[in-house]
Amino acid sequence: MFGQLMSMILTEDFLFSIIRITAPILFAALGAVVAEKAGVTNIGLEGTMMISALLGMLTSYWTQSWVLGVLVAILVGVLLGLMMGFFYLKLKTDIILAGIAVNMLGSGGTIFLLYMFTGMRGNTGSLSSANILIPTLDIPLIKNIPVLRSILSGHSVLTYVAFLCVVLVWMLLYRTSLGLNIRAVGENPNAASSVGVSVNKIRYIAIGISGALAGMGGAFMSMYYSQGWNSGMVAGRGFIALAAQAMGRGEPVGAMLSSLLFGLAQALKNKVTGLTGLASYNYLVAGIPYLVTIIGLVIYAASTLRKVKRRKAIDKE
Amino acid sequence: MKDKRMTMFNFVRGAAAILISLAVGTVFIFLTFALVGGKSFGDCFKSTGEALRYMLVGPLVKKSGSFNSMGMLQVLAAMIPITFTGLATCVMFSANQFNLAGEGSVMAGGFVAALVAIYLPMASGLHAVVCVLIAAIVCGLIMYIPAILKVKLGASEMVTSLMMNYVIMYVVLHFLNSAFADRSKGSTQTFPFLETAKIAEIIPNGSKLSWGFVVAMVFVVLTGLFMYRTRWGYSIRMIGINQSFAKYSGMKVGGTIILSQVLGGALSGMGGAIEMLGRFNTFLWKELPGYGWTGVTIAILAKNNPLMVPLAAFFLAYLNKGCSLMSTYCDVPSEMIDIIQAAIFLFFAAEQFLSGYRQKLVVKNTRADLLKTAEGRKA
Amino acid sequence: MENTNTNYVIQMKGITKVYPNGIAANQNVDFAVKEGEIHALMGENGAGKSTLMKMLFGLEQPTEGEILVRGEKVHLSSPTVAIAHGIGMVHQHFMLVPSLTVAENIVLGMAPTKGIFVDYKKAVEITETYAQKYNLHVDANAKVMDIPVGMKQKVEILKALVRGAKILILDEPTAVLTTQETTELFRELVHLKEQGYTIIFISHKLKEIKEITDRMTILRGGRSMGVYNTADTSEQDISRLMVGRDVILNVQKDQAQPTDIVLKVKDLEYTNEWNRKMLDKVSFAVRKGEILGIAGVEGNGQSELVQMLFNLNQPEGGTAEVNGKNILGVDQNKIRAMGVSLIPEDRMTYGIAATGTIEENVISDRSEKKQFNNGPLFNMKALHAESDRLVKEYQVLCKSAQQQVGMLSGGNIQKVVVAREFSSDPVLIIADQPTRGIDVGATEFIRKKLVELSRAGAAVLLVSADLNEVIELSDSLVVFYGGKISAYFEDTSAINDEIMGEYMLGLKHQSEEEIRRVCHEG
Repeated sequence: MFGQLMSMILTEDFLFSIIRITAPILFAALGAVVAEKAGVTNIGLEGTMMISALLGMLTSYWTQSWVLGVLVAILVGVLLGLMMGFFYLKLKTDIILAGIAVNMLGSGGTIFLLYMFTGMRGNTGSLSSANILIPTLDIPLIKNIPVLRSILSGHSVLTYVAFLCVVLVWMLLYRTSLGLNIRAVGENPNAASSVGVSVNKIRYIAIGISGALAGMGGAFMSMYYSQGWNSGMVAGRGFIALAAQAMGRGEPVGAMLSSLLFGLAQALKNKVTGLTGLASYNYLVAGIPYLVTIIGLVIYAASTLRKVKRRKAIDKE
Repeated sequence: MKDKRMTMFNFVRGAAAILISLAVGTVFIFLTFALVGGKSFGDCFKSTGEALRYMLVGPLVKKSGSFNSMGMLQVLAAMIPITFTGLATCVMFSANQFNLAGEGSVMAGGFVAALVAIYLPMASGLHAVVCVLIAAIVCGLIMYIPAILKVKLGASEMVTSLMMNYVIMYVVLHFLNSAFADRSKGSTQTFPFLETAKIAEIIPNGSKLSWGFVVAMVFVVLTGLFMYRTRWGYSIRMIGINQSFAKYSGMKVGGTIILSQVLGGALSGMGGAIEMLGRFNTFLWKELPGYGWTGVTIAILAKNNPLMVPLAAFFLAYLNKGCSLMSTYCDVPSEMIDIIQAAIFLFFAAEQFLSGYRQKLVVKNTRADLLKTAEGRKA
Repeated sequence: MENTNTNYVIQMKGITKVYPNGIAANQNVDFAVKEGEIHALMGENGAGKSTLMKMLFGLEQPTEGEILVRGEKVHLSSPTVAIAHGIGMVHQHFMLVPSLTVAENIVLGMAPTKGIFVDYKKAVEITETYAQKYNLHVDANAKVMDIPVGMKQKVEILKALVRGAKILILDEPTAVLTTQETTELFRELVHLKEQGYTIIFISHKLKEIKEITDRMTILRGGRSMGVYNTADTSEQDISRLMVGRDVILNVQKDQAQPTDIVLKVKDLEYTNEWNRKMLDKVSFAVRKGEILGIAGVEGNGQSELVQMLFNLNQPEGGTAEVNGKNILGVDQNKIRAMGVSLIPEDRMTYGIAATGTIEENVISDRSEKKQFNNGPLFNMKALHAESDRLVKEYQVLCKSAQQQVGMLSGGNIQKVVVAREFSSDPVLIIADQPTRGIDVGATEFIRKKLVELSRAGAAVLLVSADLNEVIELSDSLVVFYGGKISAYFEDTSAINDEIMGEYMLGLKHQSEEEIRRVCHEG
């Protein structure tokens, strides 16, 4: 059985699926990174993904244009981010609670919205067709290289965008003046406001960007990954993204590596689910990605703690 | 007099939050009719009015105008699980612990209670108590995990508890589908509970208002006593207000943080168990039941005060019933409740909502105080 | 002489500020500054200086009153607006982002760009040009977390200048500086004044004010005590206006009769996270029945010492014992069980739970005691009796013990802290800045209580930056400088301020033998 498992894992197909599965988590994790850098914990990523996924999908269906669908998903993400920002920054709602509210909208509100717009209940099953989904893309050079071809080429456009976003977010944070402001606001808001950088404005922008990234993650889910919207679709990916942000030490590249780890766990789960010998463990295996997240967090927390202790020990000598 | 004015302010503020939220809900209901029904403008208004009637007064008054006694009993029955999760959240949030695994605990509690109810024959009466207690203990132990990780390693209890909800769900589903499944049934479920374990209805009329309601109210009082009349509850609240202060005062901060989360787990687990034994004959939850999140809303509405939980729970249960009536008779999805709930949640938790008005009150009060002090000095 | 130029650059008229928690920090204050002067804003801690300046810099908005810049009424809704009016501020706690470089901090919010990216080279160039022009030398490429305090302050001043500030507000700029750095700063300030800049200088150090300022405004208890020419005003006058008394306090106390050693500290060492040695083999002892004072400019290791003694931080080496039992690294409830009490320096962080009631705050160290519990439940009667007794005995001004602590005034909050700490029959009281920022009445009350308790047999360790307080209250006294004890005075009655000043500023240092006497090792 183990041999069977190994032979299934060490395939190009499997590596391809890791990348595919990682993408939506990565989007949300980058969203978490940007928000957290500005000192905002965006727990509403989960709900944002759900709502963006739905409205992106619907737009794509109405306009028969996947590009417009993705754009609307992003726009919805931004608006939800700004709404959270309004309550958090203007009305001083605890940001965690504002996030939970967005998640409520994401879980039940979406079902309502779906009905409101289409009269359908629970999922968009019959709406999806190939032309409204996000297309896949072959990478010119890579598509001629044997092994890499089947791992790296042929992903959806948005998958590439996800990994491109790692670089973009890094550049945003470390090379632009907006990034300078975001980091300053997150590290010492008083310092930022004392030189006339509006802390609220920067936080609005950061949480808006965070929403945009989550929006792309949502679009990816409904318009590529699940090929349609259903109410259980995001399944905690927004929460996993928060964990990825924490494990990745709040840095874009770190968050990407953590996201890949979760992608691996999820891909593993998908594989195992298909194995005949393990079919009865379906559900148990489905829990693995979440368990891995907890374990990852624990290892991260423990290592941070040990580092602090070690530094103290060195000081003592 | 000063405090009376502030109480009045808080009341106005709460009412305004609820009104705004209902207004938001109304807009969405109207849109539903306009978009789905394709009705004329006037008809949309009429239908919206009709839907609102079901949502707001439906649980209380039947269409014929008579008292909807069954509706009200069902509302009270629906309060049972969310009263427990509300209490659980109050305890945890009081200690400033954003543990959100109430959701998972309810499911785990229901499942554990179900297993005990099926496989451990016992005397009637005792059986149900044992089921609930075991569920509470198991869920308390489950919550020990995020708590200890927070205290020992500083891992965010929020993220761990969120992940745990899913782990718990899948573990339960695994056992439900493998070891404990009743294969003779079409859908996935366990064998039926032994009669001895079921919690009976107070009035046997199918309203599902079981004796669990009484237990819930008893626990409201107990939790209130615990939080405001014992040293442990006191420590929990002080830690929530200012952890440094608690540590400096000599309180056992780590232990108390763990205690708050373990109690939160036990209370949610108890809620799940009582709901399971009072409402169903067999375990058939296939996803997280949602009571945990409602519990968070309740704690926010009750401002973490256990004694206010029944009021908040009643409000939400009522609204929920109203939404489901609206869904049945007017074809507006019952998920309306989530939109209204989110809106209430946002405004209730918004400290600065109507703050300009409050600031005016504070200035006025301070002036009055200064004046009094000055007069006092002269005299 | 009165300055002939009567053009006011800044006028603040009838300013009143009430914070959302009800504290009135300023009441009908008038404040005006002339072009090209160095104007002192003076007052004790809590007099309302910072609040007034925060409003001038747009960080807070006045509840009442108006602000005029160059005769024109302005609404300073944010620092951005203040900066646009040429007002810059150097805060007491530096407003810098530690992980960014000096240059990045200086251009923050106005970073030069090349396309969409920050032009970092240009940022360094700007920094260096200004540094040259105003003689404020900084290392543009260093990260702020790695540079010394003096340089951080220069970065702050440069930040304001780069933004075109013509009016500079400096909030207690010398509090964190060494003597040399202070001298250097003054030279730079005079240089700026000569170039036409206007400077508002917040301080409560008389010597500095006399040395550098032209005029001064004195605040006391949130109200203005008037405007004076520095040259025409004596230090005694200023002191009287600031503190509101002609005679410095004179606490009645009997001669101390110290007996056994209660607290014994030996070779305590601590290096902080920025690698600065805050405690360097500190040793001393406090005996039953005496008050040992610790004097010193803030930031010389006093806070760290207190943190170690109450297990709020861990030392690298050394020992500390109370009646022969170790207290380092011991849980606070055990330390308290040994009879140690602490009035913490920062009462809002450690001293109280602000949204709790007075009752909940005075019982925080004794909630587990038998007398307050009936089995699992609180004995509410006993609790109410205890809190009512304490409120009365410690004269906490409130409606009842069920009122929220955070709504009280600073002095009454401190009385709540003191009521708790003094009423637990302590054998050792550590009082860290016990009267900072509170009103005269509360101050006198707390001082009297401290003396009373010591005469009744408690050992008292008094840490205070208030020189009057530490000299008048203590029986004997040590001076902290640079993490070390620089002097020990066995009898405080013989001390004069000048000698103290020399030890506090590190100009003088007693011999090891003289200092070791404070360990009372026979």
